[in-house]
Amino acid sequence: MATSVTPDAISSVLSNPSFDSSSDRPEIVVQVVDLKPIGNRYTFNANDGKTRVKAMFTASIAPEIISGNIQNLGLIRLIDFMVNDISSKSTKYFLVTKCEAVAPALDSEINLESKSDEEAPELKKQKLEHSPANDDAKIDVSTGITLKPKQEFVAKSASQIMSEQRGNAAPAARMAMTRRVHPLVSLNPYQGSWTIKVRVTNKGVMRNYKNARGEGCVFNVELTDEEGTQIQATMFNDAARKFYERFQLGKVYYISRGLLKLANKQFKTVQNDYEMTLNENSEVEEASNEEMFVPERKFNFVPIEELGMYVNQKELIDLIGVVQSVSPTMSIRRKTDNEMIPKRDITLADESKKTVVVSLWNDLATGIGQELLDMADKSPVIAIKSLKVGDFQGVSLSTISRSNVVINPESPEAKKLKSWYDSEGKETSMSSIGSGMSPSAKNGSRSMYTDRVVLSHITSNPSLGEEKPVFFSTRGYISFIKPDQTMWYQACKTCNKKVTEAMDSGYWCEGCQKKDEECSLRYIMVVKVSDSTGETWFSSFNDEAEKIIGCSADELNKLRSEGGETNEFQTKLKEATWSSHIFRVSVTQNEYNGEKRQRVTVKGVAPIDFAAETRLLLEGISKKSQASH
Amino acid sequence: MDTSSPSAFVNGAFMRRYIGQKVRTVVQVIGSDVGSVVGKSTDDVQIVVRGSPPTPLTTYLEVIGIAESEKTIRAETLTNFGNSFDPANFNELCKLANGEFKHLFI
Repeated sequence: MATSVTPDAISSVLSNPSFDSSSDRPEIVVQVVDLKPIGNRYTFNANDGKTRVKAMFTASIAPEIISGNIQNLGLIRLIDFMVNDISSKSTKYFLVTKCEAVAPALDSEINLESKSDEEAPELKKQKLEHSPANDDAKIDVSTGITLKPKQEFVAKSASQIMSEQRGNAAPAARMAMTRRVHPLVSLNPYQGSWTIKVRVTNKGVMRNYKNARGEGCVFNVELTDEEGTQIQATMFNDAARKFYERFQLGKVYYISRGLLKLANKQFKTVQNDYEMTLNENSEVEEASNEEMFVPERKFNFVPIEELGMYVNQKELIDLIGVVQSVSPTMSIRRKTDNEMIPKRDITLADESKKTVVVSLWNDLATGIGQELLDMADKSPVIAIKSLKVGDFQGVSLSTISRSNVVINPESPEAKKLKSWYDSEGKETSMSSIGSGMSPSAKNGSRSMYTDRVVLSHITSNPSLGEEKPVFFSTRGYISFIKPDQTMWYQACKTCNKKVTEAMDSGYWCEGCQKKDEECSLRYIMVVKVSDSTGETWFSSFNDEAEKIIGCSADELNKLRSEGGETNEFQTKLKEATWSSHIFRVSVTQNEYNGEKRQRVTVKGVAPIDFAAETRLLLEGISKKSQASH
Repeated sequence: MDTSSPSAFVNGAFMRRYIGQKVRTVVQVIGSDVGSVVGKSTDDVQIVVRGSPPTPLTTYLEVIGIAESEKTIRAETLTNFGNSFDPANFNELCKLANGEFKHLFI
């Protein structure tokens, strides 16, 4: 059994990138230094006596560490590992997937280079701070008892360690040591104290707002941890002022004492069930000298041809494309406050052979927009985070205040797109996605009309919409409207929110914080919809229900209260039944009494264009016969 | 349903298959006279329809009657089909009804 490290092992691996698989690599024994947990994994520095390199154990090795087999300052033989780049820096790290313990913890860090002798005391001191278990480990070896590193970390109380080290350790280091760093994915509102280590992957601008409860300012950041999990954190007023300067895009921070709450799915921009609010008492410390494997930024690209499904949804999308053209800046007068805002349109294309126009607003139009104009002839690839999808010219995209544009990003997607464009894309004729939104599109692209499904497609798949809402168009008949359901609610005439009847008279709106003598009724109803394959209930809100019923909720309520023998109310519902419509629906999963249920919500209702429907059917017939031949 | 006197869906090209039999088609009106209408079939063949047209005529006219020749129909029923009829769809219907899905039609 080897009792020391393999000299120069690390530099030989680093200088031989061809050692892709470990099979042809010589055996490497290294010392584990600065072992610490990050989430459910452990990072350490691999030391061969001369060179140190950042390294990480995969989660599968964690039990070895917890059981004490692999110890800080111990020796391990690397059996299988990969050499990866840290994206943000030009350094490398080892990802260790298989290893075995060779020797338990040594007295100190192995240092084969004599010239660093003078540094040694300093180094040793630091090391001691970083691994409070050091002394214990020594004892362990002699008595033959091994303590688990995880326990070593909590062997001293946080305050003890804090007081011992106050003054000679950076605050961030204190936070890192005294608290376990939680992975973002493990956070929930019911958890006590936690510390996370995250990179700021997006930073919004400070916005001033004014509502019924007063005015203030707010900004938010998107945080990403090393596992790639993201969360949005919001700060108001004092907290916003306190942390606005501190949060720098791209830097890494330790954060604790934030509040978690369920994310508002309507406005969420990252994939997380929760969002975070930081107040004045929250702690935010920059992890300045620490390298970390947090990915720079995470995109969820939507191909241009699939944009149709996102039109006028609140969900924001990320896009990557090749710049086809860049317009000069224009000034647009904003309707709400008459302010002039610069805007610039760029046209992007991707491998779906579709193009789309993206409007850059404000600083993005003047800053990065100008840059793009200057290099437009080189057809750069750009990635944009957080775009709103509108229906102007069929489909159009707009930046919002927290959108981010990256020119020629270093990502596999960008490389793939660039090589496609260079090899065939620039010769190919492209069509605008907007023009493909018409029902006559025969090129098989997915647009509003071609994500058409029958009802059984929705009902036969109970897990639809589990991850995120999915959208379909469907043609069906209203087959039943339950007349005794709660069909509407009393709504504020200003904000449409639910109002309560005030004590004396009138209605109180919690949203506007004011009383009004009158309220209006707004539909919220379920209707049964049937087609040749099945039937299901659709939930429908005011605007869509008005189109289905054919009159406003106020009018229908009047008819109901009139009663009488002919009963106009019943007649109205009867008239609405057995008429067919095209529905745009979202399918989501709702939890009700601990049971998951599918919920189909009407997002749009349109009368049937028979000619267009016939074309769609003919297209279906010809596709089917093509497939069977 | 009365199946004693079926009328086949035709466009201009399919007329010749049904000479002497009852057909049904839709034409775009080009001109009309007392007792006859000249129309364009959905596949661009000029067809003469003998019979009294309804007044006023809309752009599209449905014709049910006996095919006297490849390009003439003696009309039994003439119905205005409005101004926004989709001729391409009707033409495809004729192709399907006389081709792959003939067995579905009488």
